[in-house]
Amino acid sequence: MNKPTPIPAIEIEELTKEFTIGSTTVRALRGVTTTVSGGSFQFVLGPSGSGKSTLLYLLGALDRPTTGSITIDGRKINELSRDDQDRFRRHEVGFVFQSFNLLGNLTAIENVLAPFLPIGVSADLRQQADHLIEQVGLGDRRHHRPRELSGGEQQRVAIARALLKQPKLVLADEPTGELDHKTGGEVMGYLRRLREEQGATVVVVTHDESYIEPGDKILRLLDGEVVSNTQPGE
Amino acid sequence: MWRFAIQNLVSRPLRSLLALAGLSVAIAGMVGLFSVAEGIDRMVTDTFSRIPGLAMMQTGAPLPLFSRMPAGWAKEIEQLDGVRVVNPEVWSRVNVIEGKRVIAPPRFLFGTNIATRKKLETDVYRDAMVDGRFLDGTDHNQLHAVISRQIAEDNNVGVDDKLSINGDDFRIVGIYHCGQLMLDVSIIVDIDLLRRQIRFDRDSVCAYYIEPDGTVENDVLVKQIRELFKGREIQSTGNIAGAIATGHPLIDLLLAIQNWLAGGTRASTDMATDADAEPIEVRTANDWAERFDEFSTDLNLFLGVMTGIGVVIAVLSIINTMLMSVTERIIEFGILKANGWGRRDVVMLITCESAVLGVAGGVIGCLLGWIGTDIINSTWPDRLQLYASPSLLAFSLIFSTTLGIGGGLYPATWAMRLSPMEAIRRG
Repeated sequence: MNKPTPIPAIEIEELTKEFTIGSTTVRALRGVTTTVSGGSFQFVLGPSGSGKSTLLYLLGALDRPTTGSITIDGRKINELSRDDQDRFRRHEVGFVFQSFNLLGNLTAIENVLAPFLPIGVSADLRQQADHLIEQVGLGDRRHHRPRELSGGEQQRVAIARALLKQPKLVLADEPTGELDHKTGGEVMGYLRRLREEQGATVVVVTHDESYIEPGDKILRLLDGEVVSNTQPGE
Repeated sequence: MWRFAIQNLVSRPLRSLLALAGLSVAIAGMVGLFSVAEGIDRMVTDTFSRIPGLAMMQTGAPLPLFSRMPAGWAKEIEQLDGVRVVNPEVWSRVNVIEGKRVIAPPRFLFGTNIATRKKLETDVYRDAMVDGRFLDGTDHNQLHAVISRQIAEDNNVGVDDKLSINGDDFRIVGIYHCGQLMLDVSIIVDIDLLRRQIRFDRDSVCAYYIEPDGTVENDVLVKQIRELFKGREIQSTGNIAGAIATGHPLIDLLLAIQNWLAGGTRASTDMATDADAEPIEVRTANDWAERFDEFSTDLNLFLGVMTGIGVVIAVLSIINTMLMSVTERIIEFGILKANGWGRRDVVMLITCESAVLGVAGGVIGCLLGWIGTDIINSTWPDRLQLYASPSLLAFSLIFSTTLGIGGGLYPATWAMRLSPMEAIRRG
């Protein structure tokens, strides 16, 4: 699974994002400028409505910023074409969501392979998916559908899905939000292994600071602005 | 992708089944409706392919039943180059068989000249004998008849049994089976006997069947015959087309079509005053087929409108199904997009789903339509002959698939525009 890939540094410059809801304009991000070191485990903290998830989705090219830019691995992803953004998400970004976001019609193994369905699933890819399902401890549940899995198991399937891409960047939005602390710890452990084994940059949005360990980076947001970008203890 | 699409449909069984049912019924209806036109086409083609000769009738008469002409003209026709046999015919409708009124299917007494008929190289009835014998010299002026197997079965009679036709007891000497609605209606008897029975003028016939000898092209022979009788007067006869309803929908329809094609009926006396008027017309098998083709075109238009109504309902059903399905799956599309699915991929997925519905609906609809026509044909073999041809079934299947894909395109386009971020937030 290991491969020598360049570790991306993320440069965020004067990023703003505005939403219009009815006649009201909501400014979710107000000129965020910061850097995420390549290969780091970066937490994004802040109260609800501070713009954490919006920042995460912009980093994953799920949306375009109103102004500003995001440079990953030397590429301004907000300027990529739609097709290139799709490719970027398919091959370079792994998403893990709070509510697991698995596809109910597919089995665990099929969910892991879901990103590759449009381009075709090779035997090699299927073998890798099998291996990943084993790695996250769901070898005997690979043919179960999400409704037959516990919350922790579903999140492990979501992590295996993210891992299959061997991503350079993993974006996790409240990955432990619906899990008990013990299961949340296991999930966080998988994410840390991903960073260590694949050298991926992991960005985790969370409310729960108990998962933060020494060496992690902490970006704090408030009302769409950066409050600090530090390490624990700073 | 296809497997995923099928799984998505299977996971919503009720909705998928309802859409499938809507499409299947529409396609089955289409197959059923167009099999009427195809059945007529096939019947006409098959019937006239068995009758290679020419039919000479009074101008404007849709069928020999409605035609009258002098019996003496046979000799003149025989003199023409290219003529092998001229067989005079008298036709009459059967009103009562075995005391029961005959409405539908119709039955006709077909009086034929036995002597000349025996000379025919190809005789559609003689060649289709399945029991007993065809008429011969011993049947002249006798109450002897050759009937179709259908008529024999309907009346539970066989060879040498008596059959009461219009109050006269005929002895059955033979049974034929052409297997064609338009042919198996005839009760073949001696022409002179029939004239006597129905008080038909002994110097008249209804029509002539002319068998060419192959030395002259049919078109040339037709022209010669028309030229021969141009300007002649047909006395004491009238074209009664339009004045008689046979009671059988198909025959009455033919009558109406013929009147329409001929531009209405004309009195024979008027024709006689015009030197260029043609009192007779000579039809080849192709002429019959062409007239039916014109009729089929209008019928197809009508059937197309009927089918269109069903198709619109089916399309709306598919659009509704797919739109509801898309609305329910906004989050799912958001997840897929977050995982690298492009807009085209999402459109492809939804289109695959609707295409599966289209193909499945087409297959089921074609099967239902085909089985339905088979059941109808076997239930009313002497009344209806529907035909769902392979080309009709193939067209229906392709049409259904196209409908399925078309019906899914709008919901797919709608899903394509959804913001993945908004979708995931909803989740």
